Amino acid sequence: MKVALFVPCYIDQFYPQVAVATLQLLQKLGVAAHFPAQQTCCGQPLANSGCEREALPIYRHFVETFSDYDYVVAPSGSCVYHVRKHFDKLDQTAEVQHVRAAAYDLIDFITNVLGVTELPGAFPHKVGLHLSCHGQRGLHQANESEMTPVRDGQLRRLLASLDGLELTELTRNDECCGFGGTFCVSEAGISARMGQDRVADHVRNGTQVLTGSDMSCLMHLEGIVRRANMPIKVMHAAEILNGLTP
Amino acid sequence: MSTSSRDRILAATQANKPAETLLPTVPDFGGEATPERFTAVLTSIGGTVVWLDGLAQLGPTLQQIFPDARNTASPLFPAAIPVDALTPNDILADIDLAVLTCEIGVAENGAIWLPEANMLHRALPTITQHLVLVLDHRRIVATMHQAYAQLPSMGGYGKFVAGPSKTADIEQSLVIGAHGARSLVVLLY
Amino acid sequence: MNHAIRADKFLLDADRTTWHDETLWFVREKRDRAVYAVPEFQELRELASQIKDHTLSRLDLYLQEFEAAALANGVHVHWAADAAEHNAIILEIVRQQGATRVVKSKSMLTEECHLNPYLIKHGIEVVDTDLGERIIQFRDEAPSHIVLPAIHLKKEDVGDTFHTHLGTEKGESDPQRLTEAARQHLRAKFLAGQVAISGVNFAVAETGAVVVCTNEGNADLGVNLAKVHIAAMGIEKLIPRLSDLGVFTRLLARSATGQPVTTYTSHFTKPAPGREMHIVIVDNGRTQQLGRPDFRASLKCIRCGACMNTCPVYRRSGGHSYDFTVPGPIGAILSPNIDMKKHSSLPFASTLCGSCTDVCPVKIDIHTQLYKWRQVLGEADEIPASKKWSMKFMGRLLASPKAFALSGQFARKALRLLPHGLTHANAFNAWAVARELPEPPKQSFREWYQQQPQQIQQPAQPKVTA
Repeated sequence: MKVALFVPCYIDQFYPQVAVATLQLLQKLGVAAHFPAQQTCCGQPLANSGCEREALPIYRHFVETFSDYDYVVAPSGSCVYHVRKHFDKLDQTAEVQHVRAAAYDLIDFITNVLGVTELPGAFPHKVGLHLSCHGQRGLHQANESEMTPVRDGQLRRLLASLDGLELTELTRNDECCGFGGTFCVSEAGISARMGQDRVADHVRNGTQVLTGSDMSCLMHLEGIVRRANMPIKVMHAAEILNGLTP
Repeated sequence: MSTSSRDRILAATQANKPAETLLPTVPDFGGEATPERFTAVLTSIGGTVVWLDGLAQLGPTLQQIFPDARNTASPLFPAAIPVDALTPNDILADIDLAVLTCEIGVAENGAIWLPEANMLHRALPTITQHLVLVLDHRRIVATMHQAYAQLPSMGGYGKFVAGPSKTADIEQSLVIGAHGARSLVVLLY
Repeated sequence: MNHAIRADKFLLDADRTTWHDETLWFVREKRDRAVYAVPEFQELRELASQIKDHTLSRLDLYLQEFEAAALANGVHVHWAADAAEHNAIILEIVRQQGATRVVKSKSMLTEECHLNPYLIKHGIEVVDTDLGERIIQFRDEAPSHIVLPAIHLKKEDVGDTFHTHLGTEKGESDPQRLTEAARQHLRAKFLAGQVAISGVNFAVAETGAVVVCTNEGNADLGVNLAKVHIAAMGIEKLIPRLSDLGVFTRLLARSATGQPVTTYTSHFTKPAPGREMHIVIVDNGRTQQLGRPDFRASLKCIRCGACMNTCPVYRRSGGHSYDFTVPGPIGAILSPNIDMKKHSSLPFASTLCGSCTDVCPVKIDIHTQLYKWRQVLGEADEIPASKKWSMKFMGRLLASPKAFALSGQFARKALRLLPHGLTHANAFNAWAVARELPEPPKQSFREWYQQQPQQIQQPAQPKVTA
């Protein structure tokens, strides 16, 4: 099994520890992932801004970079969703189709490709799980409150398997955090307010460590937590599952 | 003006419509068709259900629930105000209690089918201050699918009524008695 | 003025924003409970979606079937290409009656066509009889929601309005007493109404009937007390069969307000003896939308408002921030069809979270259409030029690994070296209005990875491509 690690641009530059944790976690699970150095971005920031045409060279570069791998794993469901759903704009060559199908969010990969739903380790903290929309509603990694009252999902199960970890029951289990890519600056007011409301839900319900599998939402929420000096630590799920302490 | 617009709209619709897709068959879905379920749901949306021990009990039961009703309208007993399709609005406006028979009760949502033929006047069921509908409990079905399957010819006008008139337009606060009947009592027999 | 600017105005009153958000979230939760209670709900959504898809695929034929059935029922059928023709037809019917008093139940179509000001200009009194609509009519405001038109107002606001217009006691804000005052006021209007205008929720092709759903009973009262009934409908309101209503009546109220069904589901098929019934069938941009393959599914909408109640942006920016008859996610995909320039910011007023799509009872792919409208707007140069140029620049940067690595290094260094006050200045950096920037690390991941022992770097031999 040849597995490539795709590290989204903002993680590469601002959250290298998340990519390191992803690499190490995969190693522990018996997967030696490779980081192709020529990788850049999935192109989503451009496409979400209405500039899909300008993103096409990025898409092509992405496919060239990863077409030789069986799986492309990323600690960000949003990028994966973009590759799977919106690379339909490229000519659907065998390579393009392969890369679209081979792209996996880290947690989805662990659960559905590796078949792992429990992990060893302890994390004796109250953990609030932020469900990112593209992973949840786009890649179906968790139940949706629009469909069912049952709160279940891949990451929820993995986290619950750690000793001592207590999950926060949020008032609104799966409301969007307001990041939304370029939305976070083009509609900065609403974006900030949504993030503040999400964080407030965590604070109200006792979250000590706020986590999730998509670093883009967490970057936004961390920015709000730090601005308001809230007693919450934000960590990517890969860091927790890899045994890091807050 | 209309003729040319009609033709232009139809031509544009024909030119712009997508390739034809299939019309699905809607299954029956089954469900619970009991008076208990019907009663529970109708009660939850503000209606009241009272069992009648036979139609002979209609008079005494109404007397008990609406002791002050004066301006009554009904085909079921000698009511105070005779109403038909030509009754003027100002007479209708004074009716405080209308008692009508209805045809089908829907257990899943408490809706009751009231056809024009049973209304005396089309406006009566909504303009009356209070509405009583008399329903044979054997006419309760589980869902709207089953209700529509049983509807005979629609007639000129008919409606499902589910509870009293209500609104939540002010701050989402539920208020019973918006413009139509302030209360709905269903007498099951 | 774009959506973000109008949203910022709404956000200025933080407490009211909280209240608006929570009030609509409460409706969303009621919807959830109603949905969970119906085991076949998801199946019903699929059926409704297929019925509407099918109807659109034969729409010209169903329109003709509907027209023929309605004519056979003794109903007058009119066709209006646009809002102006719709308004002219209705005025003409009113004038033929010699009428001056019109009562109107809720119709988003007549809002879209701006019928009220048109009739008033021609000397006709028009009274909106839905409570929420009457409130905003008194205040000369547009509805801020398609099901809950006055949801932007608090009961104290309504109390002030009724004090001014209905003479209720000053400071009276009890919803029960305010509603009673409106009931008394509107009863007189109903009894005096000469022509009643209603919207249409569903038009049944096989019977020629129109179905109107209300909770208040105002459509039934207005129509059945007036001599003439005018029902205004868009061409997309059709459904093929009476039995299809089984599907749609099970979905509509549960999705809209969490009720199992609306209080009144009224079927108007023929006029009462001695009275008249007119149906006005309106295009006003709908056939154009039908011709847009990516966007025609928006015509499946049954106007339940569930996408507004669930939308985290709508709940925090209010319906007026959309500046379109239909606000919220569905409005954001309908409005560019009408005026791409004016409404160009609406498809961007979304995080693309997808909740709208998942509550939609007819399964319109709303968030996908938002994404696709962005592309149409981008191609048509209806996005800000600065955004377009920076995206072009980014496109070149991100297609080149070398340039990308260098620019990343530069950005991190700059963030580390520049003072906080400069990197977080609101004027340059919208991110910083409420958020700290990430703390820039010394090393990027790729720099770290280069320093690792070879066996970690090259665990797998890449496939040799032929």
